[in-house]
Amino acid sequence: MTAPFLEVENLHVHFAGRSRLFRSAMPTVKAVNGISFAIEPHRTFGLVGESGSGKSTVARAVLQLTDVTAGTIRLDGADVTRVPREAELAFRKRVQAVLQDPYSSLNQVHQVRTIVGDGITRHFGIKPGPEREQRILALLDEVGLAGEFLDRYPYEMSGGQRQRVSIARALAVEPGLIIADEATSALDVSIQSQVINVLRRVQADTGVAFLFIGHDLDVVRHVSDDVGVMYLGYLVEQGGADGVYDLPAHPYTEMLIASVPVPDPAAQAERRALRQTFKKDTEPPSPSDLPVGCPFANRCPVAMDICTELMPEATAARHGGHVRCHLHTSGPVLAGESVVPYIRSASTAR
Amino acid sequence: MSDASTAVAVSAPQPVQAARARSGFWMRLFRNPLTVAAAVWVTLLLLAWLWPGLLAPHDPYAGDVTLTRTFEGPSWDHWLGTDGQGRDLYSRVVFGARFAVNSILIAMVVAIGLGVPLGLFSGWRGGRADRVVMWVNDVLFSLPIVLLAMAVIIILEPSLPSAMLGVGIAMATRFVRLTRAVTLAEKEELYVDAARITGLSPSAILRRYITPNLLPSLIVQVAIISGAVILIGATLSFLGIGAKLDDPDWGVMLARARFDFRLEGIWQIVPAGGALVLTVLAFNLLGDGIRDSLGRDAASSSLTVPRKVALPPVVQLHASGAVLSIRDLAVGFPAPGGMVNRVLSDVSLEVYPGETLGVVGESGSGKSMTMLAALGLTPAPGYLSQGSVSFDGREVTFLPEQEWQEIRGRDIGMIFQEPVAALNPALRVGRQLMQSLLVHTDMSKSQARARAAELLAEVQVPDPDRRLDQYPHEFSGGMAQRVGIAMALACEPKLLIADEPTTALDVTVQGQILDLMAEVQQRHGMAVILITHDLGVIADAADRVLVMYAGQVVETASVSTLFSRPRHPYTRALLDTMPQSHRGHGDLPVIGGVVPSAAAWPDGCRFAPRCEFATDQCRTSVPLLEAVGTDLVRCVRHAEFEFGPHAETSA
Repeated sequence: MTAPFLEVENLHVHFAGRSRLFRSAMPTVKAVNGISFAIEPHRTFGLVGESGSGKSTVARAVLQLTDVTAGTIRLDGADVTRVPREAELAFRKRVQAVLQDPYSSLNQVHQVRTIVGDGITRHFGIKPGPEREQRILALLDEVGLAGEFLDRYPYEMSGGQRQRVSIARALAVEPGLIIADEATSALDVSIQSQVINVLRRVQADTGVAFLFIGHDLDVVRHVSDDVGVMYLGYLVEQGGADGVYDLPAHPYTEMLIASVPVPDPAAQAERRALRQTFKKDTEPPSPSDLPVGCPFANRCPVAMDICTELMPEATAARHGGHVRCHLHTSGPVLAGESVVPYIRSASTAR
Repeated sequence: MSDASTAVAVSAPQPVQAARARSGFWMRLFRNPLTVAAAVWVTLLLLAWLWPGLLAPHDPYAGDVTLTRTFEGPSWDHWLGTDGQGRDLYSRVVFGARFAVNSILIAMVVAIGLGVPLGLFSGWRGGRADRVVMWVNDVLFSLPIVLLAMAVIIILEPSLPSAMLGVGIAMATRFVRLTRAVTLAEKEELYVDAARITGLSPSAILRRYITPNLLPSLIVQVAIISGAVILIGATLSFLGIGAKLDDPDWGVMLARARFDFRLEGIWQIVPAGGALVLTVLAFNLLGDGIRDSLGRDAASSSLTVPRKVALPPVVQLHASGAVLSIRDLAVGFPAPGGMVNRVLSDVSLEVYPGETLGVVGESGSGKSMTMLAALGLTPAPGYLSQGSVSFDGREVTFLPEQEWQEIRGRDIGMIFQEPVAALNPALRVGRQLMQSLLVHTDMSKSQARARAAELLAEVQVPDPDRRLDQYPHEFSGGMAQRVGIAMALACEPKLLIADEPTTALDVTVQGQILDLMAEVQQRHGMAVILITHDLGVIADAADRVLVMYAGQVVETASVSTLFSRPRHPYTRALLDTMPQSHRGHGDLPVIGGVVPSAAAWPDGCRFAPRCEFATDQCRTSVPLLEAVGTDLVRCVRHAEFEFGPHAETSA
């Protein structure tokens, strides 16, 4: 086991509501509430959850784009929770990102040459010229773009091509970690698979660690070695990607799995039946007004009394990871086993 | 993908077109004769500023020592006559351009030099710095410009430069506001985050990322404010606190003419006054012209739309019993150079009561366009160039808009991709629900409200009575989509068209909406057309499926056949690329290349350039939609393939 490149420990990110004259103070939004995970080089950690789950806030916190309320972020063992300004450049060289929207994440007024070359100049001091050109061409080649793209502007490229440029831009500084925040969500299916393959190849070639953030559990499972499932700022379940997918120990994880429709009518009929056991008209609580107990309790088909009273602690799950759910310690005491049979039997009993 | 943007995506600019669009700016700018006239005037003004001697035949300061040729009208010697000291008015007007342009230069250097950096700083820093800057700025902004100029004159000395310093400070407030607004907007853009992640310093981001995006609106503002500056400069000179009394400044000339015209007639006012009016006008027209030519839509508005070329349909056989039947529909979009992009061709479909027809395809495939065109909503400048549409047994291809309005909303319900955006943000949800009931039925208001509450209950919105009085922004995406479904159901439609109804929603909410749609359909028995890019959604909800690619139907089949035995290589490839189809973590199969744009549909089979089975025949001959049992497939080699659900091909 190699030492992790990124370690996130008990991360909290809260956005304080600003108080204003003549207006009541806005409540504090608790976007991330005590999250811990680690990523080793050559590996991909997938973070999955619905909108508002706080997964993008985790990315922004690691990227120093938002302030950390509490907790520690370490890079290669060194504390980078709050990077001082003089150390920022060195930090940027080690952590890069590919952002969601391929249309707005590239500046329309710059050519690919500038977009990819900026980082090279900034971090390696290589001024525009033949040497930098060579490096850019090599990067474009790595992401599967021909040399003619050097002179292209973003508006002359398709979504998939832009996302490849974004990957090349991230690779340009030779980082140890790339955060892909919904990097394939805006793409067409046929293009999504191209970009996923590029990411995989880049990892094989450079050993970069990935933090892959998405809302589609099937995509996240496919690209990740480990996954974490986020709900309202909590990591409710985490473990090996296939383990969590096959033996989900948290009802929310199962809800996510059952919600993604599969391209197979027979298999989908089964998933549909399962997803219909979940409550239809309840909405998640607001992150500025979190309940005392488990935040998923009001949508959970198998919630117990204790669930509304106490936030469950993390316990070991059968798949080797952790889960935060009372079902494993009280009620049926599933002791880390998959929650699927229990939900099924509970729904038929009803 | 929303309706309008589909049209854009279909004709996404190719590199060549983009280059053309850039040079198109000048063409668009000078298409307007007023802009040309304004540009000519401003050019003359600049010439007069640089080399007044070239344009002016006389010394503007030298009067007629004999004082015999004063107050003359236009003549061969003096084109615009002379003033009270016998000086040539034309030459004085020409030399006046010096003062005008100098005024603009001083004021603009001060205004931009102060305003743009402050606006950038204020917008970028935000927080307290922003509040302080904007507070001071707003105070200055509210002061009359002339007052500020006078304050500076009192502190320094009465001269045109010091007056313009004051004007510049006043105008800086305009630039602070503009720059700050642009900076705030750009700061939220992902590419600024990306630049920070790359490690660029804030000053580099401001200089290289934000400023270029500021330039277009800045240029427009400079042109318009220049006009204002000249006017204010002239006002100050007129009041005697700008240029010196002897100077050939337009304001000074007007001030003198004011005394003279009672004795000598109105002519004395004309040269300087005319120059002033024309100059201000020219700057404003130029500003307007630039703004109009910079707009993103400007390029497409210049295309000429061919007059209706659609022919009345020859006897079209519409399937009997179908709620909606489309035959051989084609839609064209005018393209640069008199070309036509056929974004849709030969699209046929029908949907029966109680049935869900899934229409699947990637962005740019034409699935939304098909629905818009069929419902008489082809977005301009597109037009229906061929085909026939029948709704509920009635030919509706060329129905007048008024009759369409009665059908849409009553017999055809629509659900859109962005549920919150599809609702009017200014109206309570209840009123919007009642609207179509009041228009299409003879219900009273109270009946309509009761029915609206019933509808909300039917789509499982909790607490419907309270929800009726709420505004759209108080609804989550999922709840807003339920409202959308309720609105579509209001008049018991025969057909429900759902265009990517779950794409913008979380997966867990998507499931709820799909279940709700199925329930509603079962209860009311209407036909449903479900447009989506997600084959998973198709597997969940559709009975029959139509696969579209590059503006054509490539395959139709029942849902079970489509997934168990896809016939078109594109369908097969789409299924393969989905991560859901794969257990492991290995490389996913890909479809190489990109969806072509309507301007560059390939000859022959449109999928051929991306198809692993393509032969020379595929690249040259156009495949027709062939019947295979009850299904259709557009592929010349379909008989050779035996695609299984997960098996490799035998070809």
